[in-house]
Amino acid sequence: MINQYIHFRNLRFLLHEVLDAEGLTRFEKHAAYDREAIDMSLDAARQTGDLHLFPHYREMDKDKARFQDGEVWVHPTLRPAIKALADGGWIAATDDFAAGGQQMPWTVFNACLLIFYAANGNAASYAFLTRGAANLIRTFGDENLNRTFVPKMYAGDWQGTMALTEPQAGSSLSDITTAAEPQPDGSYRISGQKIYISGGDHRAVDNVIHLLLARIKGAPEGARGISLFAVPKLRPEGGELVANDVVTAGIFGKMGQKGYVAAHLMLGEKNDCKGYLVGQPHKGLAHMFLMMNEARVATGIMAIGTASAAYYAALKYANERPQGRHPSNKDVAQPQVLIIEHADVKRMLLFQKAVVEGSIALLLQCSYYADLATVGLPEEKLRAHLLLELLTPVAKSYPAEMGIQSVSTAMQCLGGAGYCDDFPIEQFYRDIRVNAIYEGTTGIHGMDLLGRKVLLEDGKAMTWLLEEIKAAIESARAIDDLRDMAEALENTVRQFHKTTMGLIRLAMEDKPEVFLADATLYLEYFGIVVIGWQWLKQAAIASGSLKDSTAEEEKAFYGGKLITARYFIEYELVKTKGLDERLNRRDRLTLDADPAFIN
Amino acid sequence: MKSLVCVSKTPDTTSKISFTNDQSALDTGNIQFIMNPYDEWYALVRALELQEAQGGSVTLINVGPAANDAIIRKGLAIGAEKAIRIEADPQSALFVAKQIAGHAKAENYDIIFLGKETIDYNGSEVGGMIAELLDLPFISYASHLEMNGNTATIHRDIEGGTEVVEVETPFVVSAAKGLAEQRIPNMRGIMMAKSKPLQVIQQAEAGDLAVAVHFEAPPPKKAVTLVDPENMEELVRLLHEEAKVI
Repeated sequence: MINQYIHFRNLRFLLHEVLDAEGLTRFEKHAAYDREAIDMSLDAARQTGDLHLFPHYREMDKDKARFQDGEVWVHPTLRPAIKALADGGWIAATDDFAAGGQQMPWTVFNACLLIFYAANGNAASYAFLTRGAANLIRTFGDENLNRTFVPKMYAGDWQGTMALTEPQAGSSLSDITTAAEPQPDGSYRISGQKIYISGGDHRAVDNVIHLLLARIKGAPEGARGISLFAVPKLRPEGGELVANDVVTAGIFGKMGQKGYVAAHLMLGEKNDCKGYLVGQPHKGLAHMFLMMNEARVATGIMAIGTASAAYYAALKYANERPQGRHPSNKDVAQPQVLIIEHADVKRMLLFQKAVVEGSIALLLQCSYYADLATVGLPEEKLRAHLLLELLTPVAKSYPAEMGIQSVSTAMQCLGGAGYCDDFPIEQFYRDIRVNAIYEGTTGIHGMDLLGRKVLLEDGKAMTWLLEEIKAAIESARAIDDLRDMAEALENTVRQFHKTTMGLIRLAMEDKPEVFLADATLYLEYFGIVVIGWQWLKQAAIASGSLKDSTAEEEKAFYGGKLITARYFIEYELVKTKGLDERLNRRDRLTLDADPAFIN
Repeated sequence: MKSLVCVSKTPDTTSKISFTNDQSALDTGNIQFIMNPYDEWYALVRALELQEAQGGSVTLINVGPAANDAIIRKGLAIGAEKAIRIEADPQSALFVAKQIAGHAKAENYDIIFLGKETIDYNGSEVGGMIAELLDLPFISYASHLEMNGNTATIHRDIEGGTEVVEVETPFVVSAAKGLAEQRIPNMRGIMMAKSKPLQVIQQAEAGDLAVAVHFEAPPPKKAVTLVDPENMEELVRLLHEEAKVI
């Protein structure tokens, strides 16, 4: 069952047949999430998407957010959309019952999040950005901060933001200069400016709470001197909300996500901006990074949600648009065939399906690890935690980077129509691009993966990942029709491991520049390997289920899984050969390239 | 207000329908079932609105097998406080009406709600039958319902306009679009639904007077015909002779 933006049968396949999400009921925290509750949650998410999000996706782009008379005007459907997500209990869904949440497993929540992002990432982002900000206050803030801010944020009345970037400090957060000066009442006087603040100001909420990084006067230089503050646009004072000297200088004219505001904020220009310390002084970056895995996985979900919607738009078009004839048929009197009949269009559609469903599988796999890392048995917890740490840069970057290519390919399926705004693909193409920049650019994640994660706990995470992949290979090898695919992945993984060990040796020879110079390519290589793993897992299950299926639609579903897994092995996995060759070279081409020659 | 809301299970509108047993039964193997939208979106929600405004209770009732429990619990998640399922494999509208009437007779409901029709059979039969069996007034296709004491003012959509009727409780009413606004269950409701009572009772003796023996799917849609914009005569001929619309 496919609607216009997501394939629900695929979500149920991944949750119930691949991951056994219902198995999480063995843990007390998630005991209520049996299959019926999971399906009911997915259904409620779908209804919310159908009713409150998807119908407004294109309108929010055409009637984009604008800055006028000192205020940020957003589409009128945004306020009810945020309220629908809040009233549905989605903003706090994973929190404990005692904290106002529903103790929903990450595996289920992220499947629902995918539905919201696929339906309308622009609108849904406001609510789930608030979720992240509220979660920081709830986790690190004192009782007073919790009581003051969190209920209003969970109710969707107040927006939460992450205010990190400054004009001179983007990826390099250790260079931020926004200042915080202690005040006698325990608050801090904040001064500085922040840019690219998503959801930073708008009229669809009554207040905005910025979770802001600043440097307390006298704090150590660099990352160790950064603290986290809650800085409201309107601060509660004497039972009222008063202006807190947070002024929006303007909003950025973005390539995409035009309904999702990115604001430029000026703080404390009148020396009257109060901030409230969240957590310990000088630990702001560490506090913020505790939420980073969640935020990065969510960025991967946002990216692939957009790619999913684009894929189903392209698939619909390919099934309706007659054009041309088969190469062997030169008779123009014969009717034209649907474009899905052409081999190259099939290739493009299979590419999109491989990227979209492969990425969703990896993201839900990571979500499952997040659950086990939280509630699992002691021996499961460490393994799940390290696997999540290792896979997070990939789960963020593969869907973001390959999602862009997937949407580009969707546009290609529509030809000139896809480039025009009569169809939604051009918006998907603009909207998805930023996901390779959000929450750390791809380059940052490449260095994080190769420079930190691969070596995590003396390489234990990597060892355990290879064990997981090996288990999938063995399962597939036992199935006659999948044996060649299993062996192809096995050979690739063997070479990938060898190359990884070579790179680690390079690091141990104290050559960090050479070691990390092509880290982005290593990330790309890593991504193809783990998506191959996810496709092989799906193929092994689909192969068994296909034999038991009688209904035509089910046969088509499982058959689709098998052909797409094979497509991935035959068309995508082979791309690792070039990457592998490059990563085994030790020249210093990019390191030594004279900037003057890059002209 | 003490309300009973009758809910049915129907295939999701996106499910592909096929038949089995020599075309005599629906092939349920690959169907995603949902609560009949007219029952869920309009009948149940209006009953809940009346309860929220005036107090009382909202009880769901379904006639069907245990597989229907997931659908019923969705109604509990939306807000009904309890549910009854009459264990049966119903084959006709009359059988369903007799089961529901048999239960309702002893319960003295003020209003019995149901959707104007199910989206699979589109029969619109059960409501009238329940009313007849209970000797109650039946108001069909209600798009607006207001209560003033025990008197309901109901708007019915009719050909070319609206009919306004007044009726005293108790009565049976079938809900059409406009009676209420769809509610989506929230996560709290979904969690609470598990602990709400869902009572299963045995069916009463009631034979089916008619059973389905054969189904046929409509013929597949034909491909579009492209007509040269200069050739108006051909367009007129096709509209007249093939589409038969002029």
